[in-house]
Amino acid sequence: MTLRKLFLATISAATVMMASPSFAATELQVQRFFGACDADFGKNTDVSKAVGECGIITSLINKFAADNPDIKVNVTTVEWPGYDQLTAQFASGDAPDIVTIHESALSDYQSKGLLLPLDDLLKTVGVTPDQFTGAAKEGATKDGKIYGLPIDNWTMLYHINMDLFKQAGLVNADGTPMLPKSPEEVLAQAEQFKQKTGKPYFVQNLANETALFTRNLYTYLFQQNSDFFADPKKVKFNTPEAKKVVEMYKAIYDKDYTTKNLDYAGAINAFLAGEGGVQLNGTWVVGDYNAQSEKPGTALNKGGYAVYPYPQLFSGAKAQYADGHTWAVSKKDRSPEQTAAIGKFLKFFADNDFEWSRTGHLPAYKAVIDSAKFKALPHRDTISAVATLGKPLPSQVQRQFAIQDIVGEEMSAAISGQKPVDKALADMESRVNELLANL
Amino acid sequence: MADPVNGNARRAESVDIYAPQWRNFLFVAPYLFIFAAFLVFPLFWGIWLSFHKADTFSSGPFIGFGNYARLFRDGIFLQSIWNTFYFVFLTVPALALIGLFLALCLNRQTRSAAVLRTLFFSSSVLSVTIVTLIWRIVYIPDMGLLSMIYGFFGAKAPAFLSDPDIAMIGIAIATIWWCIGLPMMLFLSALQQIPQDIYEAAALDNANRWQTLRSITLPSIKRTFVLVVIIQIVFQFQLFGQAWLMTKGGPNNLTKPIVLYIYNTAFQRWDIGLGAAASEILFLLILVAAMAQFLLTRRKADA
Repeated sequence: MTLRKLFLATISAATVMMASPSFAATELQVQRFFGACDADFGKNTDVSKAVGECGIITSLINKFAADNPDIKVNVTTVEWPGYDQLTAQFASGDAPDIVTIHESALSDYQSKGLLLPLDDLLKTVGVTPDQFTGAAKEGATKDGKIYGLPIDNWTMLYHINMDLFKQAGLVNADGTPMLPKSPEEVLAQAEQFKQKTGKPYFVQNLANETALFTRNLYTYLFQQNSDFFADPKKVKFNTPEAKKVVEMYKAIYDKDYTTKNLDYAGAINAFLAGEGGVQLNGTWVVGDYNAQSEKPGTALNKGGYAVYPYPQLFSGAKAQYADGHTWAVSKKDRSPEQTAAIGKFLKFFADNDFEWSRTGHLPAYKAVIDSAKFKALPHRDTISAVATLGKPLPSQVQRQFAIQDIVGEEMSAAISGQKPVDKALADMESRVNELLANL
Repeated sequence: MADPVNGNARRAESVDIYAPQWRNFLFVAPYLFIFAAFLVFPLFWGIWLSFHKADTFSSGPFIGFGNYARLFRDGIFLQSIWNTFYFVFLTVPALALIGLFLALCLNRQTRSAAVLRTLFFSSSVLSVTIVTLIWRIVYIPDMGLLSMIYGFFGAKAPAFLSDPDIAMIGIAIATIWWCIGLPMMLFLSALQQIPQDIYEAAALDNANRWQTLRSITLPSIKRTFVLVVIIQIVFQFQLFGQAWLMTKGGPNNLTKPIVLYIYNTAFQRWDIGLGAAASEILFLLILVAAMAQFLLTRRKADA
């Protein structure tokens, strides 16, 4: 008797389980970085009220979910950049449907056949590559196909505390900050800044950091026309050009022109507290910093906040290192409803790229970057130049995040004096080449 | 004790419950299955991988000891072995001695001792994420607890997260704080097993507290001391979470332990073959420690 009951119960449970998907909403597994801010924006669907990367992306996804009750969006927030997790998820066959991937990391996954080419899917929702900006299109295209929906291009910037710049006498007659034009001028202005304000010129997150060092090196190698990745499988870092860059940052460190021992969050806090003149940070904080500068009583409100591309310090190409964020889609068996839901999600982000560009990132769509609405955003007059300055590594270079760690480790060792500059550059080159030779 | 021979003589029809029965295998099967699937199989698969050029999504040709040769040419790997030994050296003696000291102090039947025992053990129940979060808040420059205390005296706090000379010490302090509960408990249980009459005899002989400690207490818990040291060596060799969450192995790879090296190579660079080879080296190192435990404890038991 009990056995029969059990049997019946099992059958009915199985029936319910099999039947339920047809009633339930289509589920989308979305995985992203950009941080967690549910306390502030967890329920917000009014995107225009959101500020900063985390606030805007959270509100955008909330808005999408509210507009599409037939689609259930399950968001997993991962620690930046989240690739260790994503790789493990792919390896175990449990990848999310839609995931944030940097343009510089797309080829790692694309080359293993893990990502869905998006051209056809995007066409069904009316998004075509000719709508992308040149940089976005180039970054999202691998082997002639689109592998991620570009949402922005980003780069590093000089975030400036104008109050301290005024105290240091580093302001032009027209009120703009005086920026250096050579490595020597960097050191001279930093010295003047230190003398006048008693504070370091730079606010840098140097503690256990790799990305900042690497982006600084790439930028100033580009500006010296050093073609260090001429062969995407073999890098050249042990060069006079690289030495010049590392020695400049080492001098900045040795002469206390920079904060030391701060991690990323610490550096942001220090800059917002007015503990230094220039913070080296990305496009993603422009929105947040601008909001701070409008708040009375803050260090940035005192004399204003300005933001500029990295100054041109060398006589070569006018360029600086850039990358971009995309939404990529994992390759998986899916129902037509699921595929359509993914299409809707991507279309939503393409349509709302202006909101995302309020973070400070450059828009990935021509229509947005050319719009009056975008140009009217604060500071875009000074930072829009990065649209033409931005330059990524060659797209064939794989494991760019692993390379970034090696380059950053060695640069950090050289700058803080743990290793002679030449030895660090030689190690950097041989370690990266060992990695690339064993792909 | 049952007596199967007599039992069989009296009741011939009864079953010999000690006879091997295949169905008894069912009782150990769940464990054996998990043991084989999650320990034995990965062990051999790891060895197999370490002899192949393999990445996360495909495995390539057999390359013999190629991965091992790469490992021993890699300065970072050798550095990570050294770092691991240094970390074990920093933590294990401290854990054993502080654990013993706490146990000696708290081995009494008072209420305050009970409260303190609970307090000292309570850090052990925290996850590594919470532990590192707490210690980052202590160490973080300019805003951390340490810099507040130093700032009170007008001094600058040491940069435990980024100074190459003391970063590993910073991780070791957090680890000792986290792990001190188990050694203390092991010592406490050993102390409580020492028969009271020995102490009474010592008291009759007018032995002072120092003599009692040296001649009675310490010799009685010698085996526990060895046990604590070896358990901690095996455990601390596997340092990963604290280093990853507090310093990411930096500065300049000075706090990168072997497990973090394995994680870097296998999961960040997708070089699974090399990661597997590094794991085998770690396996050998821990095996040596485990064998030492086996030999030492056996010899004591024989004595």
